[in-house]
Amino acid sequence: MNVVTQAVTAGGVVDIGWVQLLLATGFIIITGAISLALGLGLVKDLSIATVRTYVQLLALGIVLRWAFGFNTWWLVLGLLTVMVLAAARIILKRSPDAPPGLFATSALSMAVTGFIVTFAVTAVVIRIHPWWDARYVLPIGGMVLGNSMTGIALALERVFADLDGRSGEILALTALGATPWEAARASVITAVRAGLIPTINSMAAVGIVFIPGMMTGQILAGADPLAATKYQIVVMLMVSAATAVGSIMAVMLSYRRRFTADGVFLEKGARV
Amino acid sequence: MLLEASSLTITRPGDSGPVAVVSDASLSLSEGTLNDIVGPSGSGKTTLLLALARLLPDVRGELRLQGKAASEWSPQEWRTRVALLPQTSSMVPGTVADNLLLPYTLKVRHHGGAPSEAPSAPTADELRAALDQVGLADIALDRPSARLSVGQASRVALLRVLLTAPAVLLLDEPDAALDDESAAQVADMTREFVSARGAVVRVRHLRSDAEADALFRLEGGRLTEVTSR
Repeated sequence: MNVVTQAVTAGGVVDIGWVQLLLATGFIIITGAISLALGLGLVKDLSIATVRTYVQLLALGIVLRWAFGFNTWWLVLGLLTVMVLAAARIILKRSPDAPPGLFATSALSMAVTGFIVTFAVTAVVIRIHPWWDARYVLPIGGMVLGNSMTGIALALERVFADLDGRSGEILALTALGATPWEAARASVITAVRAGLIPTINSMAAVGIVFIPGMMTGQILAGADPLAATKYQIVVMLMVSAATAVGSIMAVMLSYRRRFTADGVFLEKGARV
Repeated sequence: MLLEASSLTITRPGDSGPVAVVSDASLSLSEGTLNDIVGPSGSGKTTLLLALARLLPDVRGELRLQGKAASEWSPQEWRTRVALLPQTSSMVPGTVADNLLLPYTLKVRHHGGAPSEAPSAPTADELRAALDQVGLADIALDRPSARLSVGQASRVALLRVLLTAPAVLLLDEPDAALDDESAAQVADMTREFVSARGAVVRVRHLRSDAEADALFRLEGGRLTEVTSR
């Protein structure tokens, strides 16, 4: 009892010692051993991913501790901008067949929806003061941007793959006088739906199959489960809205790049 | 003259930079004529048809339709008048009726006027009569397009193009994948279109019919008129 009491931090969370933290790697080592025994070829990927998890999350912890202490509006906006740019770069890597200009499109879509939704949650719903308080804005912004990034990446990857897969149909439609929008519409719908599937699935399963990460964190930190639930509902709905609007915006801003100004669909061989 | 193409040079991206696939090609199409273009595989016949339909980037030269320069037509209006039937007849998901009525759902049909002034879509009876005319009387209008054979889809695609009432019809190997009976029906539809004062450009692999009014040969990127009536 005493030991536990000593390990509880000011925030109410039972702290994990550094040795215990390293012990968590034990399960990864077991997975690596299974991979070696079965020849799955996962050891390198698992090792890199584990090291990245340690490095990136510890760096995040240090940056957040510093940001919460410093807590100025320009620092909060600056960190959100860095998060947006990093996410746009990841989206670009996931869409190898995408046309040029996707970085700006992804960054703009995430920035517009992410910033609006994050500040709507913190300033209007939770009503924190000041409206840019790093302790609220950065974690919520991270959740909104992270989910938007997944949705936008899925939607963009799908829209170009679908357009390419429908090139024969698009030629037939264009030859009948269809505008790029009329020819691409089916692919746009498919792509936006693909971007929203993970969000809709998690909304369907939340509370029944899993307890969301934010709610888990708040409960572990000693918050009342009902208060944590209210936060989670707000965040989940806002994240879903940001993902939906971000995916729609990114797809609408980018599908046209597969067409010339005259509405000609650019097949693989004809792209610059 | 219905359609005139002067000094068309078409470049496509190649392995080591742009390559001129067709160079300095010119042709003129009069009303009520059937024009065949023959040439070996890869000679640029399909590329030339795509350029005539304004469905290619990087085309130099001049195109005129009914005396007006290409720039005086919107690309979409041009394509409804110079209609291309691609070699692979792609059906959109949906029924046979959805495919036949597709042109009427496109914005270009309503361009420049109120919806009430747009051409009215054919009725179900008219669509059935059109199907009957091309030997597809046994195809129900609500049959899913995915369940059509290649030959049936070719004829439905040709009907779909004809329903837009184009001035020029560009046919890319229209009978390449058809049995003799289907090919004969497509040839009948083509003749009927020509007799209604349309102009047809038909690309074929090597052979041409004696019925063609003009025969062009495309080889090594050069278009030459072989015979003309």
